[in-house]
Amino acid sequence: MSIARFGGILSAVALAAACLPAAAQEAPVRIGYAIARTGPWAAGAQLTQEPNYIMWADQVNAAGGLNVKGRKRKVELVGFDDRSEAETVVRTYEKLMGSDKVDLILPPWGTGANFAVMPLIQKYGYPMIAPTATGRRLLGMKNPYFFAILQQPDRMMEALAEFLKARRVETAAVIHVDELFGLEQYTGLEAAFKEKGIRIIEKKTYPLGVKDLKPVLNDIKAKNPDAFIALSYPPDTFLVTAQAREIAFNPKAFYAAVGTAFPIYRDKLGPAVEGVMGLGTLNPKSSPAAKAYFDAHVAKHNKEPDRWASAHAWAALQVLEQAVAKVGLDRKALRDAIATGEFDTVIGKVRFKDGENVTTPGVVSQWQGREFEVVWPPDKATAPALFPKPAWR
Amino acid sequence: MRLATALAACAIAGLVLAPAPWLVSDFALSLTLSCLMYVGLAVSWAMFSGATNYLSLATAAFFGIGAYVTAWGHGTLPYAVAVPLGGLAAALFAAAIGAAVLHLRGAYFAVITFGLGELVRHAITYGEKTWARTVGRVISDPPATETVYLVVLALALAAVATAAAVRASRFGLALAGVGSDEERARTLGVNTRLVKTGGFALAAFFAGALGAAVAVRWTYIEPASVFNPFIGFQTVLIAMVGGAHTLAGPIASAVVFSVLTELLRLQFPYAYLIVLGALLILLVLYLPGGLASLLERWKWRQRHA
Repeated sequence: MSIARFGGILSAVALAAACLPAAAQEAPVRIGYAIARTGPWAAGAQLTQEPNYIMWADQVNAAGGLNVKGRKRKVELVGFDDRSEAETVVRTYEKLMGSDKVDLILPPWGTGANFAVMPLIQKYGYPMIAPTATGRRLLGMKNPYFFAILQQPDRMMEALAEFLKARRVETAAVIHVDELFGLEQYTGLEAAFKEKGIRIIEKKTYPLGVKDLKPVLNDIKAKNPDAFIALSYPPDTFLVTAQAREIAFNPKAFYAAVGTAFPIYRDKLGPAVEGVMGLGTLNPKSSPAAKAYFDAHVAKHNKEPDRWASAHAWAALQVLEQAVAKVGLDRKALRDAIATGEFDTVIGKVRFKDGENVTTPGVVSQWQGREFEVVWPPDKATAPALFPKPAWR
Repeated sequence: MRLATALAACAIAGLVLAPAPWLVSDFALSLTLSCLMYVGLAVSWAMFSGATNYLSLATAAFFGIGAYVTAWGHGTLPYAVAVPLGGLAAALFAAAIGAAVLHLRGAYFAVITFGLGELVRHAITYGEKTWARTVGRVISDPPATETVYLVVLALALAAVATAAAVRASRFGLALAGVGSDEERARTLGVNTRLVKTGGFALAAFFAGALGAAVAVRWTYIEPASVFNPFIGFQTVLIAMVGGAHTLAGPIASAVVFSVLTELLRLQFPYAYLIVLGALLILLVLYLPGGLASLLERWKWRQRHA
């Protein structure tokens, strides 16, 4: 074999070797998470969060893959059931970040589970954008890898206070669930109402898993407040609506917190929900992007997303996607990109300050017909508010 | 199992398992920790309930009390003090409650011990919101994973050693006496009330200490997560599948059950509960005496071959 020929073969081999990685499928970007598929957290997690993860991975892959600093790579979701248990959450994320060393992680569902992952994301250095975690205490941990994209309690309660003040509401009765969420919302509400001069004439609390609120509602009805506010969780939201209707307690404003934004709230209670207000962010009428999101969700999962945190879960994925496109998978750089960047999402522009989404305003939404209309702030409103609330149907 | 053999086995297990944090992967360590937690819970549960046939569903209550002791003490009490203190608080609570309810038997005892968990959960929720204006507690700088692991390992081994020592003692005989015929035990001069209360409190100590040790991993301690009835049910299930009247049964079962659940969960993310349920049904149908009865049957055959 002549040297020239040998050289020719060599260069051919080298060329082939150089082409190989490009020709072969590049390894997928592995994205790990644990989320409740069984146990008490499953209902919320499977309505608000995991369907968005699955839909996002599908859309990204259908479009040729995730843009990693200009190179398209498929994504592979590595998702496990956390059994609604803190210990299982911790163990699974230790596996994902410590042993499997996945490229990215997505958050679990709920404030408690997010708390449990906090020390781990800092230890292993994985940024996490949480759509279902609320609380000053969570942000108070000052974890540089943690980003809360949902509006925090004080922001939501300020919006409610502004809305009620604009309607000249003077008195309110409040009940709240004895849980971090209920307490933090109440603290926010108390401060906001004080500032706006709305008097809280009655305040009652109740335990998680309450089965009867009628005695409390009867007391409150006798005091005849302008507004009634239940800082409640989904089961109690359903309960308080049904029982207020039963005793015909119909204040000018009727507000219940978590669960009002769920499509099942409307489907189960029917016309009774007309005029009920609650925590929300957007609906299909909010923007073309919101409409596209709702349509895609219905097409993929054959069910509507909820009108509050679902969109935040989707927005969190959009933030992650845009940050990865910009800086790739280096997680330190990714964290910095998320912390300092501004992102275009379905919920509008998102920017973080000290881990908190500071661009999305507090919103008040209200059921009107089959839609949970945004009624506050005015520049986000999709319909004028029904005030006072019509009689129960 | 002879006491000396059991203690030697504990010592060997301790020597083998102690270096794990520096040798195995994070996930393997985490899984071992889970196994050890359930070894401790199931063995201490069986030490009282297996021997006396008093079916206690209070494990979650003890576990939660321990967890809250670490939560309350966080920042002031060192971890090494909070853990035994958590155990002690649970044991004191068990002794006080035991004195009041241990005359109940069967389903009544089971139901009231389950109710206890709810009682403590609501009492703590109420107290926290009234006096501390909060419900959950944040553990801002938890001890290192290695520390938690070693403490849980020590507790699990201590539970096994204690259970072995109890079985070999007069106290253990008295507990077993209560289990086989309480009237006769009393007639023979056993102070059944004292024995039952003591056994109940001793079992509670380990559940409380384990709660105090493990819950720091969760960063946020709230009533709903630490008084999780699932922890209590799982403990009873493990002990029964293993054979609650034996020492080795619950240990083997805790390891098998934890590892199996985990493997199924990771392999079949959507179907694992169905598989697990089917396995449990088969076990109950064909091995009512638990895993330990396999060994007993084999020994019996050896002897009568």
